[in-house]
Amino acid sequence: MKHMKAMNAKAHQVEVAIGKGGSEAEEVMAMQTVVGCATTFDPGWEVDAFLGVAGLCQPMEADLYGCADPCWWPAQVPDTLHNYTDWAAGKDAAVQDWTQLQSVFPK
Amino acid sequence: MKNKQQSTLRKAFALGIVGLGMSLLSQASLAAKDYLVTAVRPNKLVVVDAQARQVIKTHEIPNTAPGNSVAGIAVSRDGKVAYAIHNRWESVSGIDLETGKEVFRAELSSPDIRAKAHFAIDVSPDGGELAVYVNPTRLKPGEYEVLDPYIAIYDTGAGIHAQPVRKLPAPRRATTLAYSPDYKRLYTFTWDMLVLDPKTGEQIGSHPWKSWKRKGYGEPDSLSVSPQFEQANEFATPYFISHKDKDGKESLRAGIWALDIENDRVRFSEFEDATVMFFSTAINPVRRNEAYTVYTQLTKTDLDTNTLVKRVDLDHTFYTVNVSSDGKELYIGGTINEIAVHDSDTLEKKGTIIVGNGDQVLSSMRLVRR
Repeated sequence: MKHMKAMNAKAHQVEVAIGKGGSEAEEVMAMQTVVGCATTFDPGWEVDAFLGVAGLCQPMEADLYGCADPCWWPAQVPDTLHNYTDWAAGKDAAVQDWTQLQSVFPK
Repeated sequence: MKNKQQSTLRKAFALGIVGLGMSLLSQASLAAKDYLVTAVRPNKLVVVDAQARQVIKTHEIPNTAPGNSVAGIAVSRDGKVAYAIHNRWESVSGIDLETGKEVFRAELSSPDIRAKAHFAIDVSPDGGELAVYVNPTRLKPGEYEVLDPYIAIYDTGAGIHAQPVRKLPAPRRATTLAYSPDYKRLYTFTWDMLVLDPKTGEQIGSHPWKSWKRKGYGEPDSLSVSPQFEQANEFATPYFISHKDKDGKESLRAGIWALDIENDRVRFSEFEDATVMFFSTAINPVRRNEAYTVYTQLTKTDLDTNTLVKRVDLDHTFYTVNVSSDGKELYIGGTINEIAVHDSDTLEKKGTIIVGNGDQVLSSMRLVRR
């Protein structure tokens, strides 16, 4: 965390909670898990857990909706759970339909 | 003479009845088959005859949101009703696998509460109640208020406007719910594997996970979102854990952690320094020392000897794996629209089952025998 600086009030609250330790920090950690569009810092989209690319999903399309539908990597893939619910509607097979998927922009 | 004839006839008739009964029993036994139950985007619940390599039923889950996929699926032990989380994780539907009729439905959200469930769902052994882990958020005009999660218990006979008959308090991050076969325990995999009384929610036990302390080892790391414990009655998840040996050499170890939900016993096996990614694991119900783990590779592990038995590359990445009732075949699913069939002994590929047009994504793949 020494190399990261809080950019907004919520991030600052996270820093304060972690600084205090105890159960408050536990709650902050818990919110990083998979329900909804929590921020996930897992490696896995650009680089795998071994800092290579061999461990990434193959092909990328096999995992595309696995990242979009649970809002797992909302920075890399539009989330279809909350914010871009129509992004992949009607395009249910990523291997065939990926060319029809469009870019999204912040609302 | 007449009496003797009647006696002989009675004996023959009785033997015939017994024979007919045995015949029916054996036919019933022979007729019992393995069926896979999974889902494909956007709203299809699929039943697959595993041996025939054929989809035999495709049912539509009604009134759901397009553009997303089904998450957790649990099937009653009699193989009649599948319960699926859908509608962007805000609804649970019970679908009669024979007729496709929606026989149960629970809406998790309400006007000011957005509630989501993902993969933690299970049906009680008698099929009478359904447990769903729910994460509610109150949507206020200027902020979201994160509320405490809970396990909603439903009466499966409540129809299509089901409300929880009780709510059990639960910690955050629960990714798996599993009833013990005797209904005495409701396992809740969260920071630790909690053992809850399914009637009261009282914590009656715990198997350490985050709190697992061993000299030289860090905290285990896993993502267990694929319930597939029904064949062996054993929950299993792959994990990574950092290890520092007595010489100070650090490594990332890969292992399988398993909980026998019938006997409440844990075992684990760290069998290699991590070299490939893992996603989910299933235990062979016949050769119980064998565990199979999938992602872009299929890995077979011997839990008794802590050894990597064999590993093969798969055609693409898969998320889920299940094992046939005779322990001879593996069914590998998730991600796109196919289930690959592999030999559990050699790991060689034996076939492919196309389950629909859409992707399975992270939908569970459950196995029932009926």
